[in-house]
Amino acid sequence: MIDAHENIAKALKCSTGEEVAVTWRLDRKGVATGWCRLREAAGILPAARAVADLKGRLSMVTAYLPEATKHSGVRELAYHFDLDGTTLTIRIQLPPERAQVPSLTPVFRSADWNEREFMELYDIKVTGHPDPRRLFLDESIEPAAFERLIPYSTFSNGASSKALWDRVFADNDHKESP
Amino acid sequence: MSTKTITLGPSQLALEEPMYFRVETEGEIVAGIDVMAGQVHRGMEHLVMKRNLYQNITLLERLCSLCSNSHPSTFCTAVEEIAGIRIPLRAEYLRAIADEIKRISSHLFNSAVIAHITDRASIFKQAMEVREIMQNTKESIYGNRMDLAANCIGGVRYDLTPESAGYLTKQMERMKEPLDELYRLYTTDPALRERSEGVGVLSRQNAVDCGVVGPVARASGIDYDVRKKSPYGAYDRLCFTTAVETAGDVRARIMVRLREAREAVSLIDQCLVAMPAGPVWADALPEIPAGEAIAKSEAPRGELIYYLNTDGTDMPLRLKWRVPSFMNWDALKIMLIGEHIADIPLIVNSIDPCISCTDR
Repeated sequence: MIDAHENIAKALKCSTGEEVAVTWRLDRKGVATGWCRLREAAGILPAARAVADLKGRLSMVTAYLPEATKHSGVRELAYHFDLDGTTLTIRIQLPPERAQVPSLTPVFRSADWNEREFMELYDIKVTGHPDPRRLFLDESIEPAAFERLIPYSTFSNGASSKALWDRVFADNDHKESP
Repeated sequence: MSTKTITLGPSQLALEEPMYFRVETEGEIVAGIDVMAGQVHRGMEHLVMKRNLYQNITLLERLCSLCSNSHPSTFCTAVEEIAGIRIPLRAEYLRAIADEIKRISSHLFNSAVIAHITDRASIFKQAMEVREIMQNTKESIYGNRMDLAANCIGGVRYDLTPESAGYLTKQMERMKEPLDELYRLYTTDPALRERSEGVGVLSRQNAVDCGVVGPVARASGIDYDVRKKSPYGAYDRLCFTTAVETAGDVRARIMVRLREAREAVSLIDQCLVAMPAGPVWADALPEIPAGEAIAKSEAPRGELIYYLNTDGTDMPLRLKWRVPSFMNWDALKIMLIGEHIADIPLIVNSIDPCISCTDR
C-alpha cells in the first residue's frame, strides 16, 4: 500500500514536473483517499496521463466557488480519480475570471460530460473539449448558472409530457432529415 | 442506402423518465447517436447547498426512487467521516440490509422491463410478482414501498425487532426459489436469448475506455464492485461473490443483475445472523467540523461517489455527487452502432439508466 502511494506521488512529479505532496488518509475500513494540489492548473492534463498510466480512471470532477473563496480571489476544481478502489483527489486553483483548464478528454473519454457540466455551471472555459455544448441546461439560461442569481423556476429545467415533446420536435425540425 | 436522423423519446424507448436521443440511421441500422439530457434537471446541486446537512438527508433520498437508499446512506457516510463519527455495528448491518433490499427490487424491475420489451409478457409478469415480495417487505418494515427513510447521521432510523427480523428471514426464504427460477428462465428462454445474445455488445476495452461502472462494467468482464474494492459499512464482514460476465451483451447484463439479486438475498441472510444487539445510532453527535471527505458505495447501478466539503457550519460548502448512470450513457454510443433500430429500446434499457439521478 505504501509502495503504491509512493508510486503515485512519483508518477505525478514525473508527469507534471513539480513536487506533488499527496496526503493519504485511511478510513476505519482501511480504504485510502489521497489528496494533493497542483501549483499549475495546466498540470492537470499530464497528471491525468500519469493516473491513466497507473490504470486509474476519472471518477468525478467537482468545481466550486463558495462565497468565502470569492473574496480570496480563487476558485477550485477537484478531480477525483479511482485507482482500483483508492480515490485520489487532485485540486487546482483558477482565477475567478477568465478561468480555463485543458480538457482531459484526450486521456479519459469520461471527462466529456463532467467538463460539459461544470462549464455550464461555472465560468470556466475548457480548452480542447471536442463538444462543448450545454449538457443539462437549456441554451436560454445564462451561462455560469451557479455564479449568478437565476430564479429557481428558470434554472430547474424539469418538464414533462406533451409540452416537452413539442418543444424537442420544434427545436429539431431543421435538424431532422425528411 | 438512405440516411436519416430521427429523434426518439421515452415513449418509444419504454423509459419511465424523459431522455431523448438523436439517432443517425442508415436504412434499418444505427450509425450514430447523441444523448440529450436535462429534461428532469431540478437543480439539486444548487438546492443541497441551501439546506443544512440534516435536511439534505431527506432531499437526497428524493433524487430518484429506484436507488433512493444509496444517496442518503453515502451522504451520511461522508458526514460521519468528516466528524469522526463511528456508527454502531448494528447500524452498519441495518444499512446493508436496506441497500440490498433496494438492490433486489431495482434489479428485478429492470429484468421485468427487458422481458416487456422483448414481448415476453409471462416472464414480465413473473418478475414483477417476485419483485412484489420485496415491495411488500419494504412496506412492512419501513412503511414505504420506495423511499425507506432508513438513514440518519450516526446510524439508522429503524430497527428490526425479533418479530420483524423473523419476518424478513421468511421473506428472503420466499425469494430464493423464484429468483433461481427467474435466472433459469432469463438464461434459457429461446425468444429472450435470441433477442439479447450478441446484441448491444460492449467489449472489455471499450468498457474501460468509457469508464462504465456497476453491472454494465461487470457484464463486460470488469471485476469491480465498490463493496469489495472500497468496503464500507458491514460489507468487509460479509461473504459474497462479485458477478462478472465476459460477453458484454444485453444477456450478460441481465445475468449479472439476476445473480446479484440472488447474492443480495444471501447478504441479507448473513446480516440477520451476524447483526449484534445494541444501539442503532450514535448516542451523541459532535459538531460537524470543517473538512472534506469522499464516500463511495455500490448502488444498484454501480459506483456512487459523494464529495462533501464543510466549513464548520451546518450548511455544506460544496456537496457534489456522481451517479453510476452518468458514466454509463456514453457506452450507448458504442453498444448501439451497427444494431437494428428495433433493438434501441432493449439496448438502452439494458444499461438500466436512471434519468432522475443523471440530471439531478
